[in-house]
Amino acid sequence: MTKAKTLVSSIAFACLLSTGLTTVAVAAECSGTIKVLAQPRDGLTLLEDYKSEFEKLSGGASFEIDYLNENDRRAKTKADASTIGKYNVYYIDEANVALFASAGWVAPLMDYYPADYDYADFDPGRQKVATYDGKVWFAPVTGGGDLMVYRKDLLEAAGIAPPKTLDEYVAAVKKLNQPDQGIYGTALRGQRGSGANVWRWMPFFKGFGGNWFDGKTPVFDGEQAVKATETYLELFKYSAPGSQTGGWDEAVGAFTSGQVAMLIESTPLVGMAIDPKSSKVAGKVGYLPPPAPLTGGGYGHGLAIGMKANKDEASKACAGLFVAWATSKENEARRLEAGQFSELNRTSIMTSPKFAELYGPDLGQALADTGKVTAVNFWQSPQWPDLGDRWGIILEELITGTRSDIKEGLDELDGFAKDLVARSQ
Amino acid sequence: MTAHTLGRLVGRLILGLAAFSAVFPMFWTALNAFKNRVDIVTPTPLFLFEPTLDNFAYVLGRESVFAGLVNSLLISGAAVLIGAVLGLPAAYAIARYPNRWSRDIQFFVLSLRFLPPVAIAIPLMVIWLDFGFYDTRLSMIVTYLLLTLATIIWLSVPAFARVPKEVEEAARVDGYGPYAIFFLIALPIALRSLIGAVAFAFVLVWNEFLIALMLTTSDAKTLPIVASELTQLGRDVPWGILNASVVLLSIPPLLFIGVLSGMLNSAFKRKTQ
Amino acid sequence: MSQKNSLPAVFLTPAMGILAVLALVPTAYAIYISFQNRELSRPDGSLVGFANYIDLFSDRRFINAIGVSLTWEAVTVGMTLLIAVGLGILLFECVSPRTRNLLALLFLVPVILPRVSAAFVWKFAFHPLYGIATYPYKAITGQPLDLLSNPATALATVALVDVWQWGLFFAVIVLKLLETLPPQPFEAAKLDHARTWEIYAFIALPMLKAPLISLAFVKMIESLRAFDLIYVMTRGGPGIATETLDMYAFSQGFIESGRISYASSMAVLMMIATSIAFTFIWKRVQ
Repeated sequence: MTKAKTLVSSIAFACLLSTGLTTVAVAAECSGTIKVLAQPRDGLTLLEDYKSEFEKLSGGASFEIDYLNENDRRAKTKADASTIGKYNVYYIDEANVALFASAGWVAPLMDYYPADYDYADFDPGRQKVATYDGKVWFAPVTGGGDLMVYRKDLLEAAGIAPPKTLDEYVAAVKKLNQPDQGIYGTALRGQRGSGANVWRWMPFFKGFGGNWFDGKTPVFDGEQAVKATETYLELFKYSAPGSQTGGWDEAVGAFTSGQVAMLIESTPLVGMAIDPKSSKVAGKVGYLPPPAPLTGGGYGHGLAIGMKANKDEASKACAGLFVAWATSKENEARRLEAGQFSELNRTSIMTSPKFAELYGPDLGQALADTGKVTAVNFWQSPQWPDLGDRWGIILEELITGTRSDIKEGLDELDGFAKDLVARSQ
Repeated sequence: MTAHTLGRLVGRLILGLAAFSAVFPMFWTALNAFKNRVDIVTPTPLFLFEPTLDNFAYVLGRESVFAGLVNSLLISGAAVLIGAVLGLPAAYAIARYPNRWSRDIQFFVLSLRFLPPVAIAIPLMVIWLDFGFYDTRLSMIVTYLLLTLATIIWLSVPAFARVPKEVEEAARVDGYGPYAIFFLIALPIALRSLIGAVAFAFVLVWNEFLIALMLTTSDAKTLPIVASELTQLGRDVPWGILNASVVLLSIPPLLFIGVLSGMLNSAFKRKTQ
Repeated sequence: MSQKNSLPAVFLTPAMGILAVLALVPTAYAIYISFQNRELSRPDGSLVGFANYIDLFSDRRFINAIGVSLTWEAVTVGMTLLIAVGLGILLFECVSPRTRNLLALLFLVPVILPRVSAAFVWKFAFHPLYGIATYPYKAITGQPLDLLSNPATALATVALVDVWQWGLFFAVIVLKLLETLPPQPFEAAKLDHARTWEIYAFIALPMLKAPLISLAFVKMIESLRAFDLIYVMTRGGPGIATETLDMYAFSQGFIESGRISYASSMAVLMMIATSIAFTFIWKRVQ
């Protein structure tokens, strides 16, 4: 670890020298502490090592990051932004950007984003997700689509070719599921949340042709949703233990500890799976776009400027400077060095020779391929988090077995959706 | 006779198990606070390992933990102090000057102690938001005052009632005024139990969670809130750090265990007189 | 000897005044908010009468929360008293006074811990993969045991922590109570060749009826504060299997939609229920 640290520090020093020259013109008159409410991310934790660099850059400001798990982070950012606004920078994601933007809780990013930090360099998919109503609202910290990741050794041993369609996938999962050997067919997300179990369920829903809304009318309560739920529940029979109430962490943990044969999950999984430091099965992993007709869940998380806490233009500019610095090329290069695959967002970094050297040329190709089937699976509206979270609770009940009537659950959700739309008028 | 001794043996065994279950979980947590993560996430729990102070260093070094500690100390301390200054005299008045409202006052005070916290937290949250005092130490101290006042009064009334009337009578005969009797006679005599009551109130607000969760967001977060945020991080759970933060959170109340035990003893001693 | 002096007024007024304000203002405000349709994300709200209350009674999750809360009350109060009386008697009967004091001190440790600490300590011990409490099961059967994710066992597991904290504490209180009983009835019974359990069942416990009822009463009200444990251990899950009333009220008011008025109506109902129960039992205890 120390060797990597000295390497990173020397790169940091080199960058400091170079940024010192180019950013003199942008040095702001900031002071005080910029408060950031975020999710635990290795990239953000890495930033904390460079507080002095930011202090010099901003002319005296420091920053403090509070970390909360995804569900809590969503609840808390919303509560804070809508009431007292103590945080200067919010970590928001594709699901709640519509809400935050339309409620005026975050400022349009480009007004305060220094030009030389090159926003256009970010992956186009992530830029798209960060845009609502024609404006950009956050700078990406993580994002991507879905990839199907599988254990080459297990598939070869069973004589199965990597599945290209959903039917092949389900059959393969069943065949590869051998609990007495400690191998499970797959690992799904059972934990409630619009970004948890609902997220994994939506590719099925969209893949079967489902839609959330037609204008203001909910249209999801139909056979596509029922079929999607039935398929999802069926797959849960072959899902690793702990996944019934687990989320991304549990699914990824199960795969990287070698207990799972195949997995369709967000792209950062791949980086973790092929990294020997975090995966027991590095070197036995293959990856492909998700089997047809599943769509990949396009997503992105990033940092946005809070409106309430930054009362004047100067403080907004300071927050903007922090957001830009936190997602700058230099900091992403540091994350690449540290092997933080999931924290890379810039096209320049992902097409750099260093990237190809660390992750192999195939990965770049797979990412490009899956980009073609990545879609927006959720309802792009300020009320999405509420609707998604409610469905997440019902889905969790169906998964754990405290409820068994899928249609009844969907009807309940339908009532809730109509109520939601009515309340927002 | 053998049945009796066998019964005693079984009884002792059960008590031993109970005592073990009382302290082992905390001990296990404390033990794990000294482990590196790799020693914790093993399929077989380890008792022998290479200890490290990294977890404690991390927890004590986090600004949020330090801030939480300071907040807890200031908020709990102030709420208990004010509660004692106002509550002890009130308890004395209730104990020594009963009137037709004493019963109702005691009922009222006790009922406050038993309000569901969520029931007062929700309106208080809205009130503090509307007045602009949300997430401040001041609003927390004022809110906790409700708990400390009610608890201290509730526990101190019996303590003052136990002060022998003859001593107070003698002092009155000697010319002491009612205030003097309170400060110079009653207070010192009941001191042990009163300290227990105050300690109980302190532990109560130190451990308080729901109200703090709803009334703070970043500035006035108390230590239980900070500790729970650390335990709910989710990804790549840093078990050693979590264990260390829980140990840190639990130390202050445990320091009071001697005081509280003494209070229990004195509360029941009177019955044998 | 009630002389006319200023002390009662001077000593009582500040404390009572503050308590009255601190208690009545939130209560009144809670009632006021419950008649509106306020949400956290919007600053305004209009009066909607009893709409929230009516919605509550057709709300599946609310009905479930009542069921969970009642189950929680029954289980925790019952088990706590059982363990308290059982261990208290054992403490009194089977060990010397010095050991008694040592054990009493140890039994106080769980209840002094912040609920959050206790919750985490046991959550960690019950972890399906790394927990020491689930290890024996894993070693024997080779399967991990996930108690907190199973709707059938989740509530019982959280209740275990609550009973662990309060049962042991109450055992100490029962012990102290037993120590204060006069010895004569027991000696008389022993002379009559009464067996030990008969002595306790027919003499000791009836003598302690009043304090035991008070203890049950205290535990009943304390059990309403299950929030801390459930928040840390399960968040009301799996599904809604451990969603008590306060967890649901908190979810509505804070986590899910910021529906402050809806949550407030629940809080008002809880206040009414506890006031009625409390008044009723207070009258009986007097």
